[in-house]
Amino acid sequence: MRDLIISELTQALHDIARRFAHFLPRLIVMLILAMLGWVIAYVVKAVLRSILRLIKFDKLSEKAGASQLLAKAALPSATELLSRFVFWVAWLGFILLGISVLGILGMQDEIARFFLFLPRLFVALFILFVGLLAASFFSRAALLAAVNANMPSPKVLSLAVRSIIIVFVLSVVFEELGLAEQTMLVAFGIAFGALMLGLAIAFGIGGRDLARGFLEKQVVRSKKQENEDELSPL
Amino acid sequence: MAEESFLTDDFLRQLIDVGEVDILVGLPTHNNAKTVGSVVHAIQSGILSGFPRDRAVIINADGGSRDGTPDLVTGVSIDDMRPASKLYALRTLHSITTKYGSSPASGVAFRTILAAAELLRARACVVLSPESTNIEPAWLSKLLRPVYRDGFDLVTPMYRRHKFEGLLITNLLYPMTRALYGKRIYEAYAPEFGFSGRLGTQFLGQDVWTNGTDGAGVELRFTLAAITGKFGICQSFLGEKIHVERSSADLVPALRQTVGTLFASLERDFPVWSAVTGCEPVPTDGDDQEVLLEPLRVNRKRLREMFASGVAELESVFQSILSPPTLAELQRISRLGEDECRYSAELWVRTIYEFAASYQKSVISRDHIIQALAPLFRGRAFTFLTEHRNASAGQVERSIEDLCLEFERLKPYLLEIWKPRE
Amino acid sequence: MPLNPDVLWYKDAIIYQVHVRTFYDSNGDGIGDFQGLAAKLDYLQELGINTIWLMPFFPSPLRDDGYDIADYQSVHPSYGTLEDFRKFLESAHDRGIRIIIELVANHTSDQHPWFQESRSSQDNPRRDWYVWSDTDTRYKDTRIIFLDTEKSNWAWDPVSKSFYWHRFFSHQPDLNYDNPAVREQMWQVMKFWLDMGVDGFRLDAVPYLVEREGTNCENLPETHAVLKELRRQLDDHSPGRMLLAEANQWPADLRPYFGDGDEFHMAFHFPLMPRMFMGLKLEDRKPITEILQQTPEIPPICQWSLFLRNHDELTLEMVTDVERDYMYDSYAVSKMMRLNLGIRRRLAPLLDNDRRRIELMNGMLMSLPGTPIIYYGDEIGMGDNINLGDRNGVRTPMQWNGETNAGFSNAASEHLYAPLIQDPVYGYPAVNVLRQKASEHSLFNWMQRILAVRRSTVAFGRGAIEFLYPANHRILAYVRRLGNETILVVNNLSSSAQAVELNLRGYKGNIPIEMFGRNMFPRVGDGPYLLTMGPYQFYWFRLRRL
Repeated sequence: MRDLIISELTQALHDIARRFAHFLPRLIVMLILAMLGWVIAYVVKAVLRSILRLIKFDKLSEKAGASQLLAKAALPSATELLSRFVFWVAWLGFILLGISVLGILGMQDEIARFFLFLPRLFVALFILFVGLLAASFFSRAALLAAVNANMPSPKVLSLAVRSIIIVFVLSVVFEELGLAEQTMLVAFGIAFGALMLGLAIAFGIGGRDLARGFLEKQVVRSKKQENEDELSPL
Repeated sequence: MAEESFLTDDFLRQLIDVGEVDILVGLPTHNNAKTVGSVVHAIQSGILSGFPRDRAVIINADGGSRDGTPDLVTGVSIDDMRPASKLYALRTLHSITTKYGSSPASGVAFRTILAAAELLRARACVVLSPESTNIEPAWLSKLLRPVYRDGFDLVTPMYRRHKFEGLLITNLLYPMTRALYGKRIYEAYAPEFGFSGRLGTQFLGQDVWTNGTDGAGVELRFTLAAITGKFGICQSFLGEKIHVERSSADLVPALRQTVGTLFASLERDFPVWSAVTGCEPVPTDGDDQEVLLEPLRVNRKRLREMFASGVAELESVFQSILSPPTLAELQRISRLGEDECRYSAELWVRTIYEFAASYQKSVISRDHIIQALAPLFRGRAFTFLTEHRNASAGQVERSIEDLCLEFERLKPYLLEIWKPRE
Repeated sequence: MPLNPDVLWYKDAIIYQVHVRTFYDSNGDGIGDFQGLAAKLDYLQELGINTIWLMPFFPSPLRDDGYDIADYQSVHPSYGTLEDFRKFLESAHDRGIRIIIELVANHTSDQHPWFQESRSSQDNPRRDWYVWSDTDTRYKDTRIIFLDTEKSNWAWDPVSKSFYWHRFFSHQPDLNYDNPAVREQMWQVMKFWLDMGVDGFRLDAVPYLVEREGTNCENLPETHAVLKELRRQLDDHSPGRMLLAEANQWPADLRPYFGDGDEFHMAFHFPLMPRMFMGLKLEDRKPITEILQQTPEIPPICQWSLFLRNHDELTLEMVTDVERDYMYDSYAVSKMMRLNLGIRRRLAPLLDNDRRRIELMNGMLMSLPGTPIIYYGDEIGMGDNINLGDRNGVRTPMQWNGETNAGFSNAASEHLYAPLIQDPVYGYPAVNVLRQKASEHSLFNWMQRILAVRRSTVAFGRGAIEFLYPANHRILAYVRRLGNETILVVNNLSSSAQAVELNLRGYKGNIPIEMFGRNMFPRVGDGPYLLTMGPYQFYWFRLRRL
């Protein structure tokens, strides 16, 4: 009996050792990959940081209004954040690659899908960033134009412009990420359509007098300003 | 080289026929048929009476007029087929036209005129406005003679203005140019001026033409180039400034052309203006321009309202541009009533200088910075109008002089907040 | 060589203006004479001219270079005898050269026997031959011509104690053409010379013949009537002889002197001449084309006479003040060069002795419509001496060679009627006929060549003119046409090279043949015809359709 246990144990140990021996090189490979990945990711992070510094990425993000958000959330600057993010993604990628070498079934597909997902993630981030920039720029342009044309409630107009652009950008981002794409699109469509319909109703049926008054004020006001303000600045 | 493809073949052929000239009159037009007739006749008289023996040409740079303006201009040419009407003409006078585009662009028009001046080796040139219906033949002598006889390179005009006209010039452009560039030039951005072929060729060779926009405001750049290039500048009194119909919607484009150009030039000219101290007067010819004092109906109230609402609504924008103390002060006075609200000279100078510094750093889009200045300018205009409602000509002049001195006094502040590009 | 038998010979004439006193002295008294002039006819024939216009040679006290006449039917003894003149005339005709003489009809010298008689008393039969008055206030609106010397058109005669009228110098009293006796006498004078064989008369100062109160006393209808009568008598007596008018007037005022072909045959185109100089200085053809546009049509048998310079000052009477100032500043900077609203310089000094400009001006002279006149000495580029007073600076002895007295005379130098030009540039050692004949590229030889080309066609003298107006205003271009013959003339008035595109659409298919070298130029096509011209260059093209 004892012999059997010992021989089974020995057998099992042998098995484990053998499997371990099988597994070990792969493990070592995985560790090497992980270490290599760390190094590469670090280099990429450093290079990216220099590039971002060169193109004054911080300034851009300031313009986009992203810096303010980050500061509020007590996060580091955009350059730093992005560099670190890229570092982690790169390293994670290498680790996953190592894991795939291990040959653990089921993980392969997930890993593959992860790698396929990455580009879309980057694109979505890029769109988000550009969209924020654009929203900031156009909302400010609208604000200035409204103020200089002496239109009523310029802040509201500016906010409206910003909102519309952000909503639009978000919907594109979500679509790109493949998350609730339909929902977002439909939501955007509904919101935009509702706004238009509301305006139409206001001007057409219900708020006819209000609309007329609004228009009159606009027209009369501009006439008035032409007659009275005769100064030419030049 | 000036001979680039923006000159059409047909125009070049006409230039060959004109040959070398002594005097070149440039006239940029766009749909000016109502006013250009009297202008070109005055030009013809001016040439025949002031420069009868000299070879002259009128170059019309037209931006796609559809009302027959170019024909009116070429109609005053004098040759063996078309004699002068009243005055005797010793020589042929060419008047040629070229279409530089299908929409008006003052920068391209000016460049065309400069190119023609170089190709024809003109000694003295003058640019005139097709809208100055009160132009007299003597204006040509006044703008050309300092170049032609006395060797100056740039002759800027001086006008008889109403005390409240041209506030952008009197409250911003003139004092700032004077303080920074050190020359007392009243009208650095004028529709009519004279210049030498030497200056024209030098300016043509600079790379001001490549910034993509239609070059509006390039005439101001021209004046500044004359200053930084140490060319001889003088002023000549012409007459009354003709009042062109404008609405308040023109303020932003006017700001772009003047302030925008000035701010953009500050960056380029930093080595020059940072070293200038004090300012020197410029030789002036002609009567001292008097300031007209007749009462003018102006809606001051609206100015103040637009100022107040501008300050309030654009707070987020101003936060990027102005320093906190300046912004706080602006907010304070914008909330005051009509009687107490006063945009002092010092505050105005600080505002402008901070705007200039922010423009240089491009804290936000540069065009937005210029647009943001509009309500503040209105506030300043309100204060100026209020303070000088009953002022005499002398008082107005002194006031502007004080403003100039304020600009000069705070120049170190500008240098402090300025950040030269690495 | 026989004379051109054509009754319109003057349209083909090339006239050489000379004063017998200046040309050649045969008897050693220092003054040129007719025998001398006759001896030099070969030279003139060689040059290529076919008509000589003689300045006044009648007896005269010479206070106005012979224009103050003391005897209308004789020859001044300094120049020879009537017989000398007759022989000279025959010699000229033998060489095919015609002779035009001066008839100073408007006034005489105060030394003339007629005036001596007229002034002697109020009852003298010749009293009425001149214009007398007790006051000097009549004809107030009349301008003074010799502004530099005369203050009034009336002069006081101490002998008859009254005023007499003189449009020129005070020693040249005006004849009274209201008197039929005067008119008859003038005709008799003319007849005398016609019978001797003279081919034509230059009538001096014709606008001033008749005076009327309340007018400017110029170009009056009565004057024209007198002239028409003279012409009628001339045609009856000797057809084929020519009358040339000296009338310094605007073209419109000149026109009446041609009448309907029943007054003068020819007249000087005075207004054109200063404008040619002006156009050259301005480098702009406008003054030239303008005056020719304003020149009226003349009767078919009539002819304009063109000239660059003559014995008088380059007159600037018929230009505007602006133009006159410009001409003074350009051509006569020194006040000494100015005289009586004119400039008293010769052709070569006026053009700075610039050979190209001299050629260009002669080219225009020979190709514009009219009969050209060459002033003696200008064919070799003689200079002037403005220190000689009045207009004598342009009337110095002809320079034949570089030897004593320029080969003009054997007399001692101090006996010459006028001093020679001696400066290093224009002086006779440098500028003379002998040297120029020996040099192939001299001005003389060039003049010979251009006169030969001019004579090769009658289109220049008789043809119509059509101006081309190229956009380059420095180019003066025109087409001369007679019958089948078409000549294109292009002149560059500028001191710098020019390119010009001519609109020759009407002449498409023609081959331009340059008339001096007789080389072909590219055929005229559809588009503008491009010519490139050197400074002051000109082209004469015969347009041939083959």
